[in-house]
Amino acid sequence: MITTISTKTKKHTLLWAIALVFSLSSCSDFLDVVPEDKLVEEQVYRNVYDADAAVIGVYGKFMALAEKNVILNEMRADLMTTTRNSSPLLKEISEHNVSANNPYANPKDFYIVIQNCNDVLKNFDIMLAQKKFTQGEYDQRYSDIGAIRSWVYLQLGIHYGSVPYITEPIENLEDVKNISKFPRLSFNELLDKLVEFTENLPYKDLYSAESSMVITIDGYNTAKFFINKECLLGDLQLWKGNYLAAANHYKFVMETATRGGANTALYDTYRVKFAEVITHDDLAVGYVRYSEQDAKGLIDSNTQGWRSIFARDRDQLWNDEWIWSLPFENNFAPKNPFIKLFSNKNGDYLVKPSQSAIDLWNSQTQANNFPYDARGSKFTYKIVNGDPVIMKYLYSSEAVTSTVANTKGQWFLYRAAKLHLRYAEAANRNNQQKIAYAILNFGIKSAYQPDPIPTDVTNIQQTLLPFPYDFDARMGDFPNFRANWHRGAGIRGRAYMKAAGAIGDDMITTENNIIQEDALELAYEGSRWEDLVRIALRRNDPAFLADKVYDKLSKEGNSNASTVRTKLMNVQNWYLPFNWN
Amino acid sequence: MISLKLIYKILFVSILTIALVSCSDPWSDRETNDENLKLTLKEAILNNPETSKFAEALVKTGYDKVLASSLTYTVFVPTNDAMDQVPVSILNNTDNLVLFVSNHITPAIYSTVRDKASEKIIMYSNKYLTFSGTNTIGDATITTPDQYAKNGVFHIVNKPLTPKLNIWQYVNSVSSSSAMSKYLVSLTELNIYKADSIAKLVTAPGVYADSLSNSYLRNVYNLNNEKNSYTLFLMDDGSYTTEVDKLKPYLIKNNAARSDTYASYFTVRDMAFPKAYLPNELPNELTTRFGVKIPIDKTQIIGSPIVLSNGIIYRMKKMDVTLENRLLTKIIEGENNTSFFPSTSGNRATIFYRDRKDPANILYNDIAQYHRVTEGPNFFINYTASDMYSTKYKVYWRAINEQSNVFQQRLIVGSVFKADGTIDLTTSLMAFPYMGVDIKKYDEVYIGEFPLAQAGDINTISLVAAATTTIGNNSLTLDYLKFVPVIK
Repeated sequence: MITTISTKTKKHTLLWAIALVFSLSSCSDFLDVVPEDKLVEEQVYRNVYDADAAVIGVYGKFMALAEKNVILNEMRADLMTTTRNSSPLLKEISEHNVSANNPYANPKDFYIVIQNCNDVLKNFDIMLAQKKFTQGEYDQRYSDIGAIRSWVYLQLGIHYGSVPYITEPIENLEDVKNISKFPRLSFNELLDKLVEFTENLPYKDLYSAESSMVITIDGYNTAKFFINKECLLGDLQLWKGNYLAAANHYKFVMETATRGGANTALYDTYRVKFAEVITHDDLAVGYVRYSEQDAKGLIDSNTQGWRSIFARDRDQLWNDEWIWSLPFENNFAPKNPFIKLFSNKNGDYLVKPSQSAIDLWNSQTQANNFPYDARGSKFTYKIVNGDPVIMKYLYSSEAVTSTVANTKGQWFLYRAAKLHLRYAEAANRNNQQKIAYAILNFGIKSAYQPDPIPTDVTNIQQTLLPFPYDFDARMGDFPNFRANWHRGAGIRGRAYMKAAGAIGDDMITTENNIIQEDALELAYEGSRWEDLVRIALRRNDPAFLADKVYDKLSKEGNSNASTVRTKLMNVQNWYLPFNWN
Repeated sequence: MISLKLIYKILFVSILTIALVSCSDPWSDRETNDENLKLTLKEAILNNPETSKFAEALVKTGYDKVLASSLTYTVFVPTNDAMDQVPVSILNNTDNLVLFVSNHITPAIYSTVRDKASEKIIMYSNKYLTFSGTNTIGDATITTPDQYAKNGVFHIVNKPLTPKLNIWQYVNSVSSSSAMSKYLVSLTELNIYKADSIAKLVTAPGVYADSLSNSYLRNVYNLNNEKNSYTLFLMDDGSYTTEVDKLKPYLIKNNAARSDTYASYFTVRDMAFPKAYLPNELPNELTTRFGVKIPIDKTQIIGSPIVLSNGIIYRMKKMDVTLENRLLTKIIEGENNTSFFPSTSGNRATIFYRDRKDPANILYNDIAQYHRVTEGPNFFINYTASDMYSTKYKVYWRAINEQSNVFQQRLIVGSVFKADGTIDLTTSLMAFPYMGVDIKKYDEVYIGEFPLAQAGDINTISLVAAATTTIGNNSLTLDYLKFVPVIK
């Protein structure tokens, strides 16, 4: 009996034991299958190529901000307005009467990118500690993502005023709204943080040409996909009011070709070059030679002249102008959001140029005495089927008629004209009015030469100042000079305009002219609202901003125009509600 | 008191509770027991004793089958009393009855509960009726609104919606008794412009044929179009003859019959306007699409206005339009040139279409020719002028000279060309002498006058440069030419 029982017991014990062993082992083997279509953390950050993929991933997320960035920076300001097709939500943005759940004003999209940046930055630190890539590789990639994060934070500050500055990955994105967990910094405090962080990034130049980040994908060279940190630093310092520091950063970019480049590249890159009046292979406003008085002689093409800045392929001339731009293509995500926004042919036509903007272009006079600025009605917008349509973003997609819908386009982020105007703004505030005038109008050569121009230009056509105000634009034949800046035509020179202002103008007049030129040249490229905010804050003059928005609304007969003006006279009302559901 | 209040409170709460509870049984509410929704429109109208006569008409025309289908409709159903007002000429003629019935049915749902104050809705008859407010359709009033059925809704109305003629149909119907109408109809055969004769050749017959081929409907307004609304002033015979006679001296053609046709055309083209003006909306003066100002003397209106499916006709005892109003000044823009000579491609580069602002800050566009290198003389730029009257014209130009020297140019009207393409001055209608173009002068300059024997188009007007090869002296410039007709 006893034996039997004990045997039974043993059997049971054994069975249990076996079951236990199997179950334990099965746990690890069978239940913990590694998914084949997803990556787990240990698989992601193994080497420099994984790090590259993480960087590209951040940019992919970042591109989702394109439409929001353009709408917030243009629709809130004076150059863009709503159409018959715009939703009430978009009208709220235009009229500065934003309800709490307005998706255009939702800051969550910004924090999705920030969270992504924070996660990548943390993992880069871990990779470096584990020696999975070199210090040099780390510096370049860490700085790139850090700069993107600073850029996004700058936008948050511009539009929301006080926001939480979060630099570590967080568990739950909803906590961003929780003011007790993440206290908010004022815009000014945020700027201090951003300047400090970004200035201390270990690497501020472009990815080196040998880097695995600079490759050709789908016919695009990736070099100009990445943020230009010096431009960002210039912007941050300009916001902070550190004008010399800003000018230093901008000038560093303006001299990119001086540090490497020969002949064409040396003289043309980021120098806002003069028009090629015979071939028209340029980025200038121009007319058929000797038919400058013929309106029908305007060079209006996707491959020549000023319009081609926005339409041409990424060739040498494109690279002379563009500093940072992200492309949208037919065959890769994300899809181009701008066709839907702007086009009345292939899209929903949700936005259009305001009467204020149209009047501004038409108040100008061209060098040939035509009573308008061709950058307006001829290029930036056109009348299509009776509607004024913003064309900058549409030239590429509407260029080619093919069987597949063409959705080519780009997110315009930084180009030479913006760089020059920002530099002029900083220089002007740094008491360099003449340089600001030269950059804004016809370039250094024109502003620094007597009339008539002597044959010997040895001692003219240059500023003879130290960095960042050193320019040598000498161009002469006896003796021969072809200095680095000799082709610089200035913003208005390239646009075939008469001068704005004069040498000897005071700081405020010059600044007004620069901000006006920002509108004429850069309209709808996503910087108008920030320009108005920056100047209004700098001058402590809310009317600078409020009057412009008032002008837009009143010219379209909006009965709320005066109310909106009164509202915008209070700086606190410039900022969007920081909330989402 | 207190205890009473309490009782009331309790009572109130309990009634409320009962009311709320009895109100809602959401599950059974999801199904409706509405008997109406089991019937088609056909059955609902047939079953209603108030609308039995219209139901008869539905059956007679076969529209009862349409209203039994699964598409959705709105029907405006006249009461039996209203149907009694319908003339037998409609009730006893199948075609007329079909048109009549179809004018009450539209293939979409229109409830009287709407957010639009007024909208034009298209009926099966292809005519539009205006549905305004909550109870007016056409000139009928809705007495019983929003009777719904399985496939749509019907409204009972107090008047039959007899289809109205449109303006063009009305004009045709009175053409035997009205000279102006007769003339308008005759334009289906007569041509005014060259394009009219081509239209007549290519237009297929059918209900829209007139719209495409009648010279009036083509060139003035398509009064046969049901979608838009117009006002037509139909002059009495006496007034019509007076107005035509007034214009005859200015529309002399190569034979008397054609002169009459054109004088009539230029009289009646100013009688139509692109909006239906109700009597209380009629202004004292209207401007035609051609720019003629027409005074409206309301005391001359005969009877009440004729309201039609696409607008209103006013019959007028008199429409006195002065020749000053009638005869239009012709302005030809410099930049609208038809050609230039010599027409070699190199010369295109010497022509500039300029965009400018004048000293008064007004935008203008003009044309200028400037020869950068020495080239031979005899340059000219050509224009045409259409619809000119047989009378004397005074001619002006505005020509802005932006050069630093005065140069000479001349105008030739009715230019005749030699075999080599140059102008034959002796046979051209009028060769004005060379005149100096002053520097930066923005005023009009009087050139002279010329007579025009026959009305019609002047095919070539040439702006001719000085006969010199000197750069800057053989330039041309023109903002506009102005031809002012002189009243005889």
